Amino acid sequence: MFRLLLIALLALPLQAAEITVSAAASLSDAMTEVAHVYEAKSGDKVVLNFGASSILATQIVNGAPVDVFLSADDAQMNRVATAIRVPLLSNKLAIVGAPLPKARRIAIANPEGVPAGVYAKQWLVHRGLWASLAPKIIPAENVRAALAAVLNGNADTAIVYATDSRVGQVIEDSPSISYPAAVLRDAKNAAAARRFLDFLQSRDAATIFRKYGFIVK
Amino acid sequence: MSDASIIWFTLRMAALATALLIPPALALGLALARGRWRGKSIIETIVALPLVMPPVATGLILLKLVPHSVVFTWRAVILAMMVMATPFVVRASRIAFEGVPLRYEQIARTLGANETRVFFTITLPLALRGIAGGVVLGFARALGEFGATILVAGNIPGRTTTLAVAIYDRVQLGRDAQAWDLVAAGIIVAFVAIWLSEKLTRRRA
Amino acid sequence: MTLIIDDVVVPLAHFELEMTAAMSARVTAIFGPSGAGKTSLLDAIAGLRPLKRGHITLDGIKLSDLPARERSIGYMPQETALFPHLSVASNIRYGGQHDEQHVIDVLEIEHLLDRGVTALSGGEQKRVALARALLSAPRLLLLDEPLSGLDRPLRDRVMTLLQRVRDDFNVPMLYVTHDEQELEMIADEVIEVERGRLIRSRAL
Repeated sequence: MFRLLLIALLALPLQAAEITVSAAASLSDAMTEVAHVYEAKSGDKVVLNFGASSILATQIVNGAPVDVFLSADDAQMNRVATAIRVPLLSNKLAIVGAPLPKARRIAIANPEGVPAGVYAKQWLVHRGLWASLAPKIIPAENVRAALAAVLNGNADTAIVYATDSRVGQVIEDSPSISYPAAVLRDAKNAAAARRFLDFLQSRDAATIFRKYGFIVK
Repeated sequence: MSDASIIWFTLRMAALATALLIPPALALGLALARGRWRGKSIIETIVALPLVMPPVATGLILLKLVPHSVVFTWRAVILAMMVMATPFVVRASRIAFEGVPLRYEQIARTLGANETRVFFTITLPLALRGIAGGVVLGFARALGEFGATILVAGNIPGRTTTLAVAIYDRVQLGRDAQAWDLVAAGIIVAFVAIWLSEKLTRRRA
Repeated sequence: MTLIIDDVVVPLAHFELEMTAAMSARVTAIFGPSGAGKTSLLDAIAGLRPLKRGHITLDGIKLSDLPARERSIGYMPQETALFPHLSVASNIRYGGQHDEQHVIDVLEIEHLLDRGVTALSGGEQKRVALARALLSAPRLLLLDEPLSGLDRPLRDRVMTLLQRVRDDFNVPMLYVTHDEQELEMIADEVIEVERGRLIRSRAL
């Protein structure tokens, strides 16, 4: 009887692990596909939680049970305690709409905290344009809102990510944009989280990310 | 996740949240209407807080208080909805109970009824219309809940993504056409909810 | 019956009701101007108002130790207070159905039983309220200005009914009124109340 039970137990498949992954909203499509492929390969379950990086970081800081975090910038990632952290992806800025010298209203994401806005301001400062253009800047709630402003005619120009618009003019000397990925220090399923992080850095994942316009580091 | 399943999920969660909060909200409304105890105004203020505070602030507080096993699950969705809908049901029921003349309850007592019987045969039936109005408003509020939900339940497609969160998500990602689909559905659902509430609470001619 | 009000004090809005009295007649009228505290006295006897001090005893039973629902006191309030969401039948049966047919016959409300109470006339409402109080088999009936709001012919009619109830049913009554003629027609004993105090009591 006991031997039968033992054999039955050994025949059971190993319990599949489930990891919770918080990812910046801008990575929604890419991460959904990446997770899909990973689930098929590994048998683990990936629970994806999308949102603004700031809100995701706030959740983690306040104890939400997250295993892996993909942020849209380093500032938000710096707020959380990580076990392993890697710079995963990069992006470039792009100008959509009228060229800057001709723009009367320039929409960017809020430079006071939204990563895309922070980078946009960084670049303008770097180019010495911030002082003269500041009065023309319209801060939008997020990158999408900035893009919508141009499409609706509420702004002449927007500075967004290259991944946001195919028609924009890519800014080659963009500031160094980083999408870090990390296994969190307090992750409940640390081993499974590490496996996922490894997969994120694999060639298969890189192909998917490039498909959506991201630069893989 | 299909539009229909998002809407169905949100409806189910809002209905369950509203149903769960009715008994304690009625009890609190009754205590506030009839009771004479210290600290009444403090309790009333606490109950009204989710109405006045930014929902994200409420969400942050919930995130701190709620155990890990609940965060990022449908239970957190229910919790956020319950917290946001409570002020409507408590206030409406308090006002409804206050509107039931004390004399009716007193006469019922002289006729031998204990407090339970007085409540279920006199107080509650006479307060029902006002309570129903509050319940429908609470349900509508739960349906549209966003700020607290997104913090404590997250945006997990298939698990915790509600209608409001999905709309915001699609707008964020530039999928305007899909966002509009959900907005239209949301309007229809809200329309039906309010229409039903009018039917329930209108005085029969 | 003997109802004893023993050193009772009831705080009211503008003064305190303070009384010691003994009532043992079939019908005791409580007479006084409006605002004298008569309704509050009835409320205290029925257990709807707490006593600051003192006891109320009925036939040896300390009423003031009992909650309202255990005192077996029928109350016909001035506002009539018929339950608006219940039918006449449900109203009168709320406290029980003791000897129902006799009460229904004496008060002539058989034809009203299935009606809603909001459509009843003033006189009909009074009769239903009285039936409701009677059907709970009370030890004592409290009537607060039962003829108020009725016109002359109706008052006579209802007074006749009250006299019939006094004679047919064996229930003592406390009858509040500010009308001297009324109490002459039905009461055996009068206590006069003014500003919460017992001024005088006399037999009729």
